[in-house]
Amino acid sequence: MTIDVFWRIPTHGEPSSHRNRTPHRGDWFPGDDSKAESGSVGKGSNGANYIDYIAEIAHAAEISGFQGGLIPSFPMTDEPWVISSLLARETSTFRFMIPFQPGFLNPVGAARMTASLQRATGGRALYNIITGGGGPAQLWWGDSASHDDRYGRTTEFLDVLKGVWNGGPFSYQGKFYQVEDAGLADPLSKEEYPEIYFSGSSDAALASASRHADYYLTWLEPFDQLREKFDRVKTRTQILGRKIKCAIRVDIIARPTEEEAWAEIEKGFNSLSREALDKFQNPDGSDSVGAARQRGNRPTTINSYKDLIIEPNVWSGFSLLRGGQTNGIVGSYEQVAERLDELVTLGADAFILASTPHLEEAYRVGEEVLPLLRGKTDTAILRAVG
Amino acid sequence: MTTEFLWQLPTSGDGRYGNSKKERRGERSSARHPYSEGVTDPRGLNFNYFDYLHQVARAAELAGFEGIRIPEDINGDEPWIVAGYVARGSRHLKLLTEFDASRGSSVYAAKNTVSYQRFTDGRFAWQISAGGNAQHRRSLGDFAADDEIIPRIEEFVTVARGVLTQAPYTFKGKYFEVLNGGFQGALANHKVPPVYLSGNSSEALALSARSADVHIFDAAGADEIRQQVDGLTTLARQHGRKLGFGLRIDIVARETEQEAIFDAHRFREQSANKNGSHAQLAGRHLWAGLSADITGANATLVGSYAQVTQALVDYASAGITSFLLSSVPHFEEAYRLGEYVLPAVRAQIARDQRRAA
Repeated sequence: MTIDVFWRIPTHGEPSSHRNRTPHRGDWFPGDDSKAESGSVGKGSNGANYIDYIAEIAHAAEISGFQGGLIPSFPMTDEPWVISSLLARETSTFRFMIPFQPGFLNPVGAARMTASLQRATGGRALYNIITGGGGPAQLWWGDSASHDDRYGRTTEFLDVLKGVWNGGPFSYQGKFYQVEDAGLADPLSKEEYPEIYFSGSSDAALASASRHADYYLTWLEPFDQLREKFDRVKTRTQILGRKIKCAIRVDIIARPTEEEAWAEIEKGFNSLSREALDKFQNPDGSDSVGAARQRGNRPTTINSYKDLIIEPNVWSGFSLLRGGQTNGIVGSYEQVAERLDELVTLGADAFILASTPHLEEAYRVGEEVLPLLRGKTDTAILRAVG
Repeated sequence: MTTEFLWQLPTSGDGRYGNSKKERRGERSSARHPYSEGVTDPRGLNFNYFDYLHQVARAAELAGFEGIRIPEDINGDEPWIVAGYVARGSRHLKLLTEFDASRGSSVYAAKNTVSYQRFTDGRFAWQISAGGNAQHRRSLGDFAADDEIIPRIEEFVTVARGVLTQAPYTFKGKYFEVLNGGFQGALANHKVPPVYLSGNSSEALALSARSADVHIFDAAGADEIRQQVDGLTTLARQHGRKLGFGLRIDIVARETEQEAIFDAHRFREQSANKNGSHAQLAGRHLWAGLSADITGANATLVGSYAQVTQALVDYASAGITSFLLSSVPHFEEAYRLGEYVLPAVRAQIARDQRRAA
């Protein structure tokens, strides 16, 4: 068994380095989503469109040896179903990891979309099923189910999706979904069922994941915490008679030397405003358990980027430099590879990596870090035991 | 209002014959190996029907159509995915994508549409349909009653237009809900997709009068179409609105009328409903019962290039502004109509409009 390494598509634009918010790529005004500003490869610059840049990243990732990429979906981003279908024809091996919330689509319609995307790509579509945060954020999408209800709905959604996939006829009487004599038509019914990466840290999420997920996907957390989490997920699914794998979504900064890598962080940190730091320490409300778990690992006063180093080569201030999770790995090529291998011994079976700018860094990481990974070779397993 | 010609993308199959619905050109998983064992087939598993759909879309663009209609057919591929798949192979085509209001969250549909508009320079358009009979809908996980279909479409459109044009936008209806929604910054101010609706019931017509950008009529004689157009124009005026009118019709056009009739009969012989009636609906060029299992239109125009041209011009003068055309095989016929029919129709419509001005 080997590990799978994915890249990520920046669906919200990106700065051209970790050091500053500008220059930037895409149509988003740096640091303020309520405004628009075309940077390089933004709408209207030289007739280029942001999808042209996304296409370049997908090519770079597939050429550099990544499986494919996660295509994040948030209120301010472009959408993964659209990006996947637009790039189906001009990519070869890139696998499109589509995050979506079951509440947003009719499950039979979602099955049809997915089967058609499989046909359009030669089987390169896979899911990242998200059940979502909560509160007003969920109502923005027009979704009012409560937190625990939402995982029940996710389970039912995937029950129906699986039920209709190979043609049916399939009938189902759930709390949230009902279907009668449903099933995909030939030839859609002949496609391979998409692999499912599942996100969510609460008990309700784990119960749902244990039933349908192939991979349990988490952000990077302190290593001991992750070991405990992976053990819990794997134990829980084994009780239900299923095996689940674990995957980690993590940003990295890898350079020839550790000093150069930290210099990127230091420059990025020093260019931050006081306001940005304050907001970082006092974020607005959401009932996401994963986000709370990440905040819990941080000191209460931050004077230097060094205050955010929570263990060797792990910095917990990434969300200061760009949107998304807080923890990331910083170090030399060798150190980054070692940390990733360490995560494999803790139970990781797959990674979704990212670094800014995603285009050039896909080549760097593909050329300098991936060849150093031991992954799940026999010797790596022996080392872990010994 | 300018006239547009949209070509149909045959999402569930296409071929040279009257039973073309069962054929999928290029489909890699076809059980039937078309060559004898003595001949090499170089294709392997490299192609499937999507490659052909891409070519049909390219044909529509090169032959001068303004857009393509991507119909929802449960036996075929899913229209939103198909729209994305062909989008980057075309520069100008309007992508009229059919779905029904049970597809999920209206906000999510609108948000996906923002990305389509951003990536295609605003070429994405919606055709929202009723979604078939109740039994069919239940097989799609949709248990809405018949009388809920129209109100649900209206809420779907209301919410989508709301979040596409306003922020914050709040709405709480029977089917859809959003709190402080709407798109900001880079996602704001993109083209609201033109909404094409259809249906003959008084409720459907009333909805179009209130909400549609284009109402699509089934094929009928030009006089009947003129009456329908006038009726809906009057209804819409009561709401202070104007809308466009579409006509969904199939075509068998050949150099001579004889050839067209010969081919029309041959299609009929080859099709599944060859024993059904093929009454001539209005005048000798409009045939019913010919195309139902091929393309889904209500009737087919059969005639020489000149006759078909004149029939389309008559529809235009009856008020039709969007022609939703199809003919099998869709790839070859896109070129045929683009070369022999559309230029003449456009020229005649322009002359008529100058005369009227």
